Amino acid sequence: MKHVDQWTDNTTQRRQDWYFRLGAIGIGIAILALWEVLPLTGLVNPIILPPFSKVAVALFTLMQQPFFPGHLAVTFNEIIIGFIIGTLLGLGIGIALAVWPSAKRLAYPFVVGFQAIPKIVFAPLFIAWFGFGQTSKIVMAVVIAFFPVLINTMVGLESVPSDARKLMRSLKATPLQIFWKVSFLHALPIIFAGVQAAFTFAVIGAIVGEFVGSQEGLGYLLNLYNFQLRIDRAFAVIVILATIGAAGFFLLEWADRKFIFWRERS
Amino acid sequence: MPNPKLQLVEAPVAGASDRSVINTRSISKIFSLPEGPVTALRDVNITVSKGDFVSFVGPSGCGKSTLLNIIAGLLPPTSGTAELYGEAITSPSRRMGFMFQTAVLLPWRTVEGNVLLPAEVYGMDPKAVRDKARSVIEAVGLKDFIKAYPKQLSGGMQQRVALARVLTYEPEILLMDEPFGALDEFTREAMNLELMRITQSAGITCIFVTHNITEAVFLSDKVVVMTPRPGKVSGVVDVTLPRPREIETMKDPAFADLIFEVRNLLGRHI
Repeated sequence: MKHVDQWTDNTTQRRQDWYFRLGAIGIGIAILALWEVLPLTGLVNPIILPPFSKVAVALFTLMQQPFFPGHLAVTFNEIIIGFIIGTLLGLGIGIALAVWPSAKRLAYPFVVGFQAIPKIVFAPLFIAWFGFGQTSKIVMAVVIAFFPVLINTMVGLESVPSDARKLMRSLKATPLQIFWKVSFLHALPIIFAGVQAAFTFAVIGAIVGEFVGSQEGLGYLLNLYNFQLRIDRAFAVIVILATIGAAGFFLLEWADRKFIFWRERS
Repeated sequence: MPNPKLQLVEAPVAGASDRSVINTRSISKIFSLPEGPVTALRDVNITVSKGDFVSFVGPSGCGKSTLLNIIAGLLPPTSGTAELYGEAITSPSRRMGFMFQTAVLLPWRTVEGNVLLPAEVYGMDPKAVRDKARSVIEAVGLKDFIKAYPKQLSGGMQQRVALARVLTYEPEILLMDEPFGALDEFTREAMNLELMRITQSAGITCIFVTHNITEAVFLSDKVVVMTPRPGKVSGVVDVTLPRPREIETMKDPAFADLIFEVRNLLGRHI
């Protein structure tokens, strides 16, 4: 079922897509060129903004340093563990609040109140409680990451069409059957959007934790290079972190397309 | 002018014959809303006989869907009882199948998967139902769409899937709440003819809720006319048009007479 209207048929549509893609690439190249040229002209101090080529070299050399894989692994673990625990926690609490109305009425004010707090304020506290090691960073990642999953799980489960529930009731389905065969799968596209946000948040949580107090990890390196005014290396760490964030996001995007094939896409 | 076809519902149900499948005995339903109690149904007595096609017709708010939900066992009446073969209905029964205004298909299941959903809920082995499901899917004209997903189907085709889902489990009674109300006029007409053909040949007792008088008269053996505020039955029209009915049936002068009779019972409520 192709959607064809008289104004933009498929060929024009595809050609337009290409124009936009080329345009985006063009803008990207322009930004990199500007980044390269500005420090050389002296308009921007090269110490504050090293040219792009220097950053590229710094990235290459950094990745070859013997200490680098250790720092990468530390941060990567914090992100992944924080993301998984946060997702499971959000899912569990979200389901509990959605299927148990009195729990929701009791807990909801706290949920809303907690949501209003900028969670980053807890970072120094977690260092005091859980030490300078990975635990405090994982806790930070969990605290930030579980929220979007919790909210989306509740919203998703509460948006199940009443006719679908009624259909199941007319078949004398048990509450458990209604949950697994209808409600959960109906909520899954919405839950998964929360899971995608959770990954980005887990990256933020781990890095913020490392900023506040750590002796290892990419956040520690970034902080260190910043103090040493080795801005080229600081940028190199940023590029690595951006890559981790983007890779996770697109991996989840791919999983979403593969497993939640029934999602309405515009 | 007394109309011989009109049976007043207040006629004693006790005299109902052995063929009666569903009886409602002075059913009332009061919803308590924040604005105060609303009487959705007041003292409704109707009898549905085996193999009959009965329509509930009336404007919005006349309680026709509420009555259907009570008969389905999805909603308890405030007073009175609905009975299935003389036994009070307190919960849904596998002897009754329910159809909604929309198809209510699960978008992550294929046509076949949707038709097999009740089997899973009933705890039957889906494999044992598969052959039956396939033959019903073919019977509703979706042979080539067994593995298709709902979003690949038109509204009419989706409603055919819903019909297949209910017919696969061979209900004795089919309860339908404006099942084709969301479809365009042409599709609706085609679906009505098909519904009539299938339910007639299988001898299924049907209760059909609609606000379309023509549709109600065309399909039914009996039209229960309901009026709102409070919802009650204002009369029952027996449709004696011969079967099988085709589109040409609508040219019959008796058809027009029946439509006017229903209209008169609706009075100035529309």
